[in-house]
Amino acid sequence: MAHDRPQHTSPLGYLSHGLVWLYGLLLAVPIYYLLVTAFKDNTAIFSSPAAPPTTFRFDNFINAFQFVDLGHALINSTGITIGAEILTLLLAMPAAYALARSEGKLGEFIEKLFAAGFLIPAFAALVPTVLLAIAMGLFYNPLFLVIFFPATQLPLSVLLLTQFMRAIPKELEESAMMDGASRWAILWRVYTPMIIPGLVTVALLNFLTFWNEYLFSLSILGTDTATRTVQVAVPSLIGQQTTDYGLLAAGCLISLIPVFLVYVLMQRRMENALVAGAVKG
Amino acid sequence: MTTLTAKPPLGAPLPPAARPKPQKTRSIASSRRLSLTVMTSPAVIWFLAFMIVPAISIFVVSLLDWQGLLAKSHFAGLENYQKMLRDPVFWSAVRNTAVHVGVVLAIMIPVSFMLGYYLNTKPRGHRALRVLFFTPALLSISARAMVFFGVFAPGGLVNGVLRAVGLGDIATPWLADPSTSLGVVIFIDLWAGIGFTAILFAARLTSVPTEIYEAAELDGASHWRKMWQVAFPIIKGYVGVVTMLQFLWTLFNSATTVLLLTKGGPGSSSTTLSFMVYNEAFIQSDIGYSQAIGVVLFVVGLVGMLIISRLIRQNY
Repeated sequence: MAHDRPQHTSPLGYLSHGLVWLYGLLLAVPIYYLLVTAFKDNTAIFSSPAAPPTTFRFDNFINAFQFVDLGHALINSTGITIGAEILTLLLAMPAAYALARSEGKLGEFIEKLFAAGFLIPAFAALVPTVLLAIAMGLFYNPLFLVIFFPATQLPLSVLLLTQFMRAIPKELEESAMMDGASRWAILWRVYTPMIIPGLVTVALLNFLTFWNEYLFSLSILGTDTATRTVQVAVPSLIGQQTTDYGLLAAGCLISLIPVFLVYVLMQRRMENALVAGAVKG
Repeated sequence: MTTLTAKPPLGAPLPPAARPKPQKTRSIASSRRLSLTVMTSPAVIWFLAFMIVPAISIFVVSLLDWQGLLAKSHFAGLENYQKMLRDPVFWSAVRNTAVHVGVVLAIMIPVSFMLGYYLNTKPRGHRALRVLFFTPALLSISARAMVFFGVFAPGGLVNGVLRAVGLGDIATPWLADPSTSLGVVIFIDLWAGIGFTAILFAARLTSVPTEIYEAAELDGASHWRKMWQVAFPIIKGYVGVVTMLQFLWTLFNSATTVLLLTKGGPGSSSTTLSFMVYNEAFIQSDIGYSQAIGVVLFVVGLVGMLIISRLIRQNY
């Protein structure tokens, strides 16, 4: 929008540029602090918190990994994330396809149900969910999160996928049916390949949510090293009396690696997914 | 006669002429209805069983005397609610939640809107800003809390910088000081939320046709007037929806930040309703009482949403 860029920047214009970049700086500084802290020990952190590290020692990373058994936690998180992701998509895809192609009142109602469900924060059901895990005999069992997480992301997944599928011309479905293809065959062989961008969007959102989830993981899997996820393991680096901040920062960075990698690989997709996922409801 | 529900077997299509037309459309319509049911029910059942039923059952649990996850429960009527009215911590949590949600929304929504407008004019460096604005959205709530655990530590970044510039008197253990602990929680929500919300607004503002701005410019409108008198009215509905979501998000999700940073303290200075639900259930082991507070939280969320949506509609 070139017209929005005046030839001469007014004093007020400079002020607004300045304020925006000040906020940008405010965002960057804690991240910078996290990075430099991860390479320092407490003495260096306390004496000059903002200074860059003098040496690049990876002791903190190695120690964080060993002290709280991050390897195990990463495996748990990965298993839960992948399992829940697959289950979410398996549940959401057929529903989205049917909703996209339905014309009746029932379809409308189901869509409204998911739209309303999108507004219910999962936190509202935290305690009953823990009780449910106990009742199902799956307390302290990662399997429960694989089963439960999809429910939290189904409204968004179904609504977004439905929108993507609606964009596919109806004639395609009708001609496939004429050829005798079943609805399941149409879904997996005709529709799925055509909505890959939508599928990636939804998969990315689910990945972020599942990988980053903290409170349900803590309440249902606890802090035992055998079951806990990486989000729960990292805060356990906080000591009862004193905390090794370098160690904590290093553990924190390790837990960010998967998300960071995905972001670097598909920055645009991820940004679009987050924007689409924030308000669709 | 073919039943209405039967689908032709794969690979053996009926020639189009084999059936009269009306019957065929009816068969497609009803097979569509059946497949709608079959294909949506797993998702619907899953959602009802693991989300809606637990969410509704908080109302039931709030009527029980239930001390500990593995203990037996008894019907207690409204006892938990009576306890709540007498509990000073609850009233402190109500006050803190009002301050927390009120301050976060009052700052976040206008600032984000202005930042969104700014981004949408594509000034120099807007791509770098976008990446910066997105970064907090990638961090988990717990990672975010850990970052600020270090930043606000007694020997952390904030105090270090204050001492370095000669303002050491202001330095305080931010998380352990009753006058700043809630402020830190508010700060973290704003830190993480403003940039991302700005990007949402910027994305929406791209749909505003440039001709409208140009017309306003002919009338000599400044950026300030274009922002509030042209752009804002056009996306007001969207601003309302985002406000509603941020309201719910802020109201319900403070438990993690509070739990990891202050545990509600010192005293109850940073106890929010959301944290109290967690704390009463899993630390104090008073499940029924925790869910009575959960019901209050739920009602506050519902009422707040209605008020916000009423405000949007009124202004249309």
